[in-house]
Amino acid sequence: MSKYPEYNHEKSHAWFDRARAVIPAGVYGHLGPSEGLFLPLSKWPLIASRAQGTYFWDMDGNRYLDCMCAYGPNVLGYCDPDVDKAAIEQLGIANCTTAPSYKMVECAEKLVDTVAMADWAFFMKNGTDATTFCVMLARAYTGKRKIFFLRNYYHGNDPWAMRADYPGILPEDVAHNVVVPWFDLQAMEAAYDQCKGDVAALIAQPYDHGNFFDNRVASPEYWQQVRAFCDRHHMLLILDDVRAGFRLDLAGSDHYYGFKADLICFCKALANGYNLSAVCGREPLRATAASLSFTGSYWMSAEPFAACIACIDKMRRLDTPSLFRRMGEKLTQGFQAAARAHGFDLVVSGEPALFYLRIANDDSLMLHQEWVAECVSRGLFLASHHNHFMNAAMTDEDIALAVDIADDAFGVVAARHPELRG
Amino acid sequence: MKDTRAMAYVNMYGVLGALENLCALDAAAREILAALKRPVSLCFDVKGGPCCTFHFSREGCRMEEGRANCTCRMRFASPEAFNALIDRSKPGLPVKGIGQLLAFLTGPFTKLTGRLTALLRPSEEALRERAFFEESTLLTLYVVAGAISALANEDPIARLSASYTVDGEISLGVRDVASVTIAVRDHHFTTIKAPSAHPRVIMEFADLDLAHGLFTGTASTIDEMCRGTIRLAGMISMADNVNRILDRVSLYLG
Repeated sequence: MSKYPEYNHEKSHAWFDRARAVIPAGVYGHLGPSEGLFLPLSKWPLIASRAQGTYFWDMDGNRYLDCMCAYGPNVLGYCDPDVDKAAIEQLGIANCTTAPSYKMVECAEKLVDTVAMADWAFFMKNGTDATTFCVMLARAYTGKRKIFFLRNYYHGNDPWAMRADYPGILPEDVAHNVVVPWFDLQAMEAAYDQCKGDVAALIAQPYDHGNFFDNRVASPEYWQQVRAFCDRHHMLLILDDVRAGFRLDLAGSDHYYGFKADLICFCKALANGYNLSAVCGREPLRATAASLSFTGSYWMSAEPFAACIACIDKMRRLDTPSLFRRMGEKLTQGFQAAARAHGFDLVVSGEPALFYLRIANDDSLMLHQEWVAECVSRGLFLASHHNHFMNAAMTDEDIALAVDIADDAFGVVAARHPELRG
Repeated sequence: MKDTRAMAYVNMYGVLGALENLCALDAAAREILAALKRPVSLCFDVKGGPCCTFHFSREGCRMEEGRANCTCRMRFASPEAFNALIDRSKPGLPVKGIGQLLAFLTGPFTKLTGRLTALLRPSEEALRERAFFEESTLLTLYVVAGAISALANEDPIARLSASYTVDGEISLGVRDVASVTIAVRDHHFTTIKAPSAHPRVIMEFADLDLAHGLFTGTASTIDEMCRGTIRLAGMISMADNVNRILDRVSLYLG
């Protein structure tokens, strides 16, 4: 008997059908079902009505304790009063103006003061904008063509960042991408030799936080070696901190792992959901950054800058990286204990602030998908093959609730699989 | 852009490979085989391409890689020459069992491939008959399944998808109708026209109508996933990569 009855999603799914009628795929991309994260579809809410703190509600009024945090942007809690107040006040002053607001300057100063490696900041709207800017800058600065990627990479969805087997991507779009394995400096050297020196940069996430496998955290020693490799070959080191940025260290994930990137990309946790991304760079790259033709209609709007300043100030006050580590460990230890009690081997990997989960009793992820589906349909929003995100609104009581729902869901799956009892 | 050599593998493992299923499923094909006086093992030997033997008997058709057990053999100077057999019925050079080969080629084989073409390239009118529609769609599933492995191993773009595909068995099928197995090992794909006992990922279409829509491009895989009419479970990265290869299959077979 389940302690948490399953939700009904009738209204949410009716809204999703309306979405499908007017939007390709209904909800495209990572927030929708097309990436295989919502299995089976009937268990997922699909469309939200409102959100507050660490919770959101679907169209049927069901409440979800959200461990995905809008895939990262919700870093302080939905509708954070301090960030929203700053944004709303700014809207009353000025937002999208011909001469950009002074808030842009203040925001850049805030980033330069906060991010250890930063001598300047450049703003845009999405993570993809930031990574694209960095790759263009690296090519302009070095005069070289090729870019090194670490396997399992995701650096956005501009053509250069994708693969030749993706729809709409030409082999020519990715002709200068070189994919090398993580944690293998020899392979990196060999790849460099094959390129005969024509390599502008290495772009990488701070650790291997890809999907479908246990995430692998990098060591400071590894990053020191990568830094030395890039220096030796006059390549720029671009850190794509879009996903992990500010959750490990407010000074940047390069600072957390003990090295200094040449360029660093931020987005998700930058402004608690207000649309802004940024690149911070080192002094020698300033002139090249200024030379790039790179801008957009809303890139200098003031509201997100005000939100960003308030968000960084609050993250600093709360020391969110320490909070996320502590709370993430507590949450995942609770999940693991509940799993063990029902005979499941739940593997937790990655950094606690961005924990990745996998039930290892089978190698297909089917059991894991079943468990995640039972959690979601009882009010604990997890993802079956993506890292999760902590937010600062999550309390000890929320963690206790999350573990209790997880325990209940393990019980449901265990009852369905008597063969697991051995 | 199609690769000629990869096309030859699609023609061998996908199109001609479906002769196995045609002979099992189709009453007209079974009648053709029933008239065989003795078994024939016909090898298509493509220089710089695939080499497979098709064993025809009154019981059916079985495909085998290589030429070792053939009774007659036709040689093709290149993948282009072999593709011309499929596109324009232009035969290769008989090099073994010439008498048997010519008799079989001009008789039963032509009838079987004619039937195969009728089912794989059906007219709108023929598809209105439900039984024909179902047989045509099912046969197409087997062609597609063979083509997936052919392209995963031979097409430059599909090989990229294969390089990201982990080991294990992919179950691809139509609910309560049929399923095939794509076995992946070290990024090499093999199609097994039987259900998987231990799939690592399941892709299952709700019914033959949906399968037909997906094969003919009138339905979208992503949209159907969003409708919940494609059952997915397991290692979704494998399904994702197969889906990318399916895009290539459409290009080659379209």
